[in-house]
Amino acid sequence: MDLGTVLSMILLAPLLAAGLIWMFARQRAVLAMTLSLAAAATILGLSLWLYFQLWDGTAYEVSMEWMRLGPLQLSVGFLLNDLSALMLFVVGFVGFWIHLFSVGYMNDDPARGRFFGGLSIFMFSMLGIVLADNLFMMFIFWELVGFSSYMLIGHYITTDEAAQASKKAFIVNRVGDFGFLIGIIMVYWTFGTVSLGGLQELAHHSPDSVTTAMGLLLFCGVLGKSAQMPLHVWLPDAMAGPTPISALIHAATMVAAGVYFLGRTFFLFTGEALHIISWVGVVTALCAAIWAFGQRDIKKILAYSTLSQLGYMVAGFGMGSLYGLHHGDGHGAALYYGIGASMFHLTTHAFFKALLFLGSGSVIHACHHEQDIFEMGGLYKKMPLTTLTFAAGVIAIAGVPFIGAAFFSKDAILYVAKMTNFPAFLILTGTALLTALYMGRLFVIAFLGKPNSKSAEHAHESPWTIVLPLVVLAVCSVAGGYAGLYPERLGVLVQNWVPLAHGSDHTLMLVISAVASVVGLGLAGLVYGFGSKTDRVEDKAPPVYAFAKSKFYFDEIYNAYVAKVQDRLADFVSFLDTLFISGLLVKGTAAVAGLFGIGARRVHTGSVAAYVWWFFFGLLLFGAFAGGFLDGILQK
Amino acid sequence: MKEILFHFFAALTLLPAFFVATSRKPVNAAMNMLVSFVGLSALFVLLETYFLAILQVLVYAGAIIVLFLFIIMLIDPHKSPAPSLLRFLASIAAFALMVLTGYFLVYGPEAGPYAQLAAEAPASLSRSFGVALFTRYMLPFQITGFMLLIAMIGVIVVSRKDPATDGGEA
Amino acid sequence: MSIGLEDYLFVSILLFAIGFLGVLLRKNTLIVFMCLELMLSASILALIAFSRYNSTAANPLMEGNVFVLFIIAIAACEVAVGLAIIVALWRRIQTVELGEIKELKH
Repeated sequence: MDLGTVLSMILLAPLLAAGLIWMFARQRAVLAMTLSLAAAATILGLSLWLYFQLWDGTAYEVSMEWMRLGPLQLSVGFLLNDLSALMLFVVGFVGFWIHLFSVGYMNDDPARGRFFGGLSIFMFSMLGIVLADNLFMMFIFWELVGFSSYMLIGHYITTDEAAQASKKAFIVNRVGDFGFLIGIIMVYWTFGTVSLGGLQELAHHSPDSVTTAMGLLLFCGVLGKSAQMPLHVWLPDAMAGPTPISALIHAATMVAAGVYFLGRTFFLFTGEALHIISWVGVVTALCAAIWAFGQRDIKKILAYSTLSQLGYMVAGFGMGSLYGLHHGDGHGAALYYGIGASMFHLTTHAFFKALLFLGSGSVIHACHHEQDIFEMGGLYKKMPLTTLTFAAGVIAIAGVPFIGAAFFSKDAILYVAKMTNFPAFLILTGTALLTALYMGRLFVIAFLGKPNSKSAEHAHESPWTIVLPLVVLAVCSVAGGYAGLYPERLGVLVQNWVPLAHGSDHTLMLVISAVASVVGLGLAGLVYGFGSKTDRVEDKAPPVYAFAKSKFYFDEIYNAYVAKVQDRLADFVSFLDTLFISGLLVKGTAAVAGLFGIGARRVHTGSVAAYVWWFFFGLLLFGAFAGGFLDGILQK
Repeated sequence: MKEILFHFFAALTLLPAFFVATSRKPVNAAMNMLVSFVGLSALFVLLETYFLAILQVLVYAGAIIVLFLFIIMLIDPHKSPAPSLLRFLASIAAFALMVLTGYFLVYGPEAGPYAQLAAEAPASLSRSFGVALFTRYMLPFQITGFMLLIAMIGVIVVSRKDPATDGGEA
Repeated sequence: MSIGLEDYLFVSILLFAIGFLGVLLRKNTLIVFMCLELMLSASILALIAFSRYNSTAANPLMEGNVFVLFIIAIAACEVAVGLAIIVALWRRIQTVELGEIKELKH
């Protein structure tokens, strides 16, 4: 089999599963589960075969024409290179374990058919983004991903919260995608092609304003999908979906699609655009870390930490590319430093954030859908394995030296920040401390101390389908930081293009990470106390807590904007519509036609003989016209 | 020779046609129409369009007339009453007016000049029909096929006994 | 006197007028229908005559003839559907006289 066939099979396996589930298994939960899991296993198996046997590591591109609209040619195709291979592995690997987790987690859900069908649709769309070789195809799958995310956030269709959250996610993403689409159109106008391979040859880093605007418009899509400021508001609400969905879509893969997209189109971004991109990432990272302190819901805390880590990745991309521009040979391959920095963090983040979400899912499952961390406490006795793996996740995200994956990946980002943008470096270092602090808060309150509620007392360890993915992902999040452990074909980016600090910088980074993580985790234990019932910061220093809880009033501002500006504009447009379109145009034409109809009805007598005579007169008229009798009349 | 044949076949077409228009029994009308169609196809032969001549006999004389006769047998209508004098006169007047207009259009001072007959007519070959139908007129040809299908379905639907409406009246 | 295009056209017009006379004069739906077929045949004759007189060996002008073929096919459809309607009418009101069919309106 050639590479193209295998890639098609990888892409189509989940679509096939989703189609079969839709047709046959909507009411048969076990069948739906089996199909979906089989599709995920196929993806993982085929992609592993790809890495170890089939693919020789060189960029592979294949495409065929789909349709041609005038000069615009739309094609479907695959582009497999170092970047997409790594992303394919992340999606396939994390996706498979989350599928397995879902089997255990969703075992009492009545709508499992719909759930697993949606999961497979999601895998299909996500793989489409990963493999796409041109921007239009990417956009199509980008929208499909948004759709499947909408469907899965709204899985608990009976709750108002889920309905609102799915709607919000969809609409906020639309805002970003609007800019994204305009950006794609601009790319097509400027370069005349949307194929990634073709663009890479044509694009040059001319710092003109058109190219900068183009990059920033494309970045709008990333703002929406990767939930960067100011379009971050949907992600925390999206936690209304089932926990495996939060893990797969809203932590490990879909939200990372934005970062992946940046890496895929790195050659389109100018220095100015990269500066803006990095600052967006830095601000998102800091703000989200602050907001995490104001949350009590375990999944919301993790959601804000996801936001923060995504900010790191975006900032890492921006500053890594700048680092490549300034410190590399100035063009071409040196720009891979941005991809290396962001993708390394994306990969480790996918492991440990999926682990953390699945761990929280295990906890929620055991505590009968209790999500408030202050109602938990003391879980380490009841659920030792979950606690242990969760601790591995916390260590990984905090970046404890040598045993936390984020230690290595975050170091790279901090290093490029130090080399290119010192204020950003300070902020990101502070954020690293905050990260360790809020994750420590979550861990000490929920898992240590004594149980704070009945549901926590009755908690018990989850079944193997839930625990096994936790263990696997825990191993990955400890080992994922060691670039040398990646297989040859997968690790090209991670091994060659992650910017590493040398000499004194190396020591500095080590010290910073160690201090930030250890101090953060330690401080969390001191400040919040093991298994405490209330938030001690809220008790002692209410303004600080209120500051974090306010989320800087983004939701309020958006709601006010919609109510005050958008609704009024819509009312006005609707008034115009009623007056002119439906009033004058539609009803006016209808009235004219009606009058004509009343006249025409008179000649319809219902008698065939009358119609024949009408026909006869028409015939005479025609004869007169043909014979030229009417020429005199018509010429006047 | 050709002139005599033309006049003969024109008469063979027009006289039975006239009887169709004036007969009051449907069976007589159908038989006269059959003769008229045969005369018409003979005119086609004079025009060297042999393929269409055969088709005319097959489809009109063969299929359509038989269908008419079959329906006449099925519903067995009575002889129609004679038309009222006023209507008779009006119809004759309309006919006369039409023939006069037609005569003026064809033979009048404004008419012509007419194209003269070319020496040979390659269009008469049924082969060129086939080529035209399957190359340039492929789409209309297929649409016509669909139209026949639709007509068939329509006939079945229209002539089906509807239990809801017919049951009560029968 | 050789036979020209105009003679065929006049035959066609006569046939058409006769058909139309029948439509005006007769009230029996079946005969009216037959007369309609006569009118259709008249138009076919005109088309064939035009096609024949305008074609040359270099330009065989298949358009008119092909058009006739389609007309014949459509006429077959028309007759089938029309006769089916007559049968359906007969079932409802047991008549084929046009004067008694007054329900075409509404």
